[in-house]
Amino acid sequence: MTAQPIVQFSQASFAYNGHTALEDLTLDLHEGEFVGVIGPNGSGKTTLLKALLGLMHPVSGALQIFDCACQALRCEHRARIGYLPQKEKTDPNYPITIWEVAMMGRYGSLGLIKRPSKADREIVLDALDSVDMADLKDHPFGHLSGGEQQRVLIARALAQRPEILLLDEPTTGIDATTQRRLVELICKVHQAYRLTIVLVTHDINMISSIAETILLLKTKLYAKGPPAEILTKDVLSPVYGEEVIIAKRDQKPYIILSDEHHHA
Amino acid sequence: MLELLSYGFMQRAFIASLLIGLVCSTIGVFAVLRGITFIGAGTAHAAFAGVTLAFLTGLPPFLMAVISGLSMVWVTTYVQEKGKMKPDVPIGVFYTFTMALAIFFIGLMQGYRPEVFAYLFGSILSVTQSDLIVILVLSLAILLVLALFFKEFHFISFDQEMAEASGIPAKKLSFLLLNLIALAVVIALKAVGAILVFALLVIPAAAAQQWAHNMRSMMIYSALIGVGASWTGVLLSYWFDVPSGATIVLLASAVFLFSVLFPGKRQGLRRF
Repeated sequence: MTAQPIVQFSQASFAYNGHTALEDLTLDLHEGEFVGVIGPNGSGKTTLLKALLGLMHPVSGALQIFDCACQALRCEHRARIGYLPQKEKTDPNYPITIWEVAMMGRYGSLGLIKRPSKADREIVLDALDSVDMADLKDHPFGHLSGGEQQRVLIARALAQRPEILLLDEPTTGIDATTQRRLVELICKVHQAYRLTIVLVTHDINMISSIAETILLLKTKLYAKGPPAEILTKDVLSPVYGEEVIIAKRDQKPYIILSDEHHHA
Repeated sequence: MLELLSYGFMQRAFIASLLIGLVCSTIGVFAVLRGITFIGAGTAHAAFAGVTLAFLTGLPPFLMAVISGLSMVWVTTYVQEKGKMKPDVPIGVFYTFTMALAIFFIGLMQGYRPEVFAYLFGSILSVTQSDLIVILVLSLAILLVLALFFKEFHFISFDQEMAEASGIPAKKLSFLLLNLIALAVVIALKAVGAILVFALLVIPAAAAQQWAHNMRSMMIYSALIGVGASWTGVLLSYWFDVPSGATIVLLASAVFLFSVLFPGKRQGLRRF
């Protein structure tokens, strides 16, 4: 791991319409790190991703992404950050093929007006291949299940050839088997592309089994550390309230939260 | 049939309907997929208000239509951002505001002015040589911009936030698209009429969506329906002396109804 962080928050605060969403955040992200972000609803998880995308600027403090201040983030920088938004399933009637969706990953670095080259097509095919969707590339995107659509959107993000991959609740609204496959896929691309991953989720048990570092947010950064340090009643209770129950499953802690917090 | 084409007004009607059908139906694809068709109805009425003011003051109607149509886009975009509201609210307000202005201006006119009503109901057979030149220049400009930014418009229609996050200047392009829609409406105003031009923007694209599996095929189907309905409408209008704009819209509506009842997609036509 290199010493120089690729993302640096320095006492950064973010606000929506004058309402503070994230306060006094100081945090470094390093190349190749797998970071899971947890916290109750409205704790600033999505704000953190918006800030990393350069779509929200700090009202105080600073945020450095790659080698520039986030306010100066230009299109070519954004192209280096892949993003899987929390997205409702696409309308089955929307006329777009899997190939067209994945190709959109190239548009940012292609620049305006220019058309995709042979090299771009190879990158897209490679990305679709890595999520096992290359065979279906001419299929309508809207006809896929929620989990398959997520795979294609991951391929779209990979086709960007990003250095950082941001994932917003990638497993929400997907059945358990598909969830497991998706998690395996995320781990696979993390390893294969040496990607820095920031994954936002409400599924504490899922993320603690895959991430190296967990960030616990509730308007500010409550805790940061390896899963074993975060998954304790002492750390979680101040944020989630007294309803946190820590059970054991396969020798590992298993967190049960009250329904109120658990559902997005 | 061929002798029809020897008449100057028929030649102009065919060329104008080709251009209008093509421009409205292709830009309509983006309008329909983005769910921003209402701006088309809004700009049509704003442009009509501009035309009535032109007749009242003696200014050139086409220029006034362009100015008021584009103003509609700028004002509603500004109000929408300033007031943090959904786009249909300011469009709804200015839609009726400009229609009220148009009625007000008509009320100020001396006597009955039939040429004003041509802009309301459309009259493709009365397109003049100079009208045609403006339609031609603006159509080519719109089609050129559409072709240049096709992949970007495609991306922002699919998901604007994702496009912006990937480094596409999504907000600027989205505003550009609104302006193009306004211009498309303005060039169709005299031929199809302020009330019906909205249909030419929505119907071919909506019908095409029932058949298309990708963007290119939706564009092609939409253009075929738009131009086909326009040409057939011109012919029927000439032969049976029926209003051209209404005939074009009725034909397009029939195609739409057919495509909803018999959607090509569910019958395995997916190679296109």
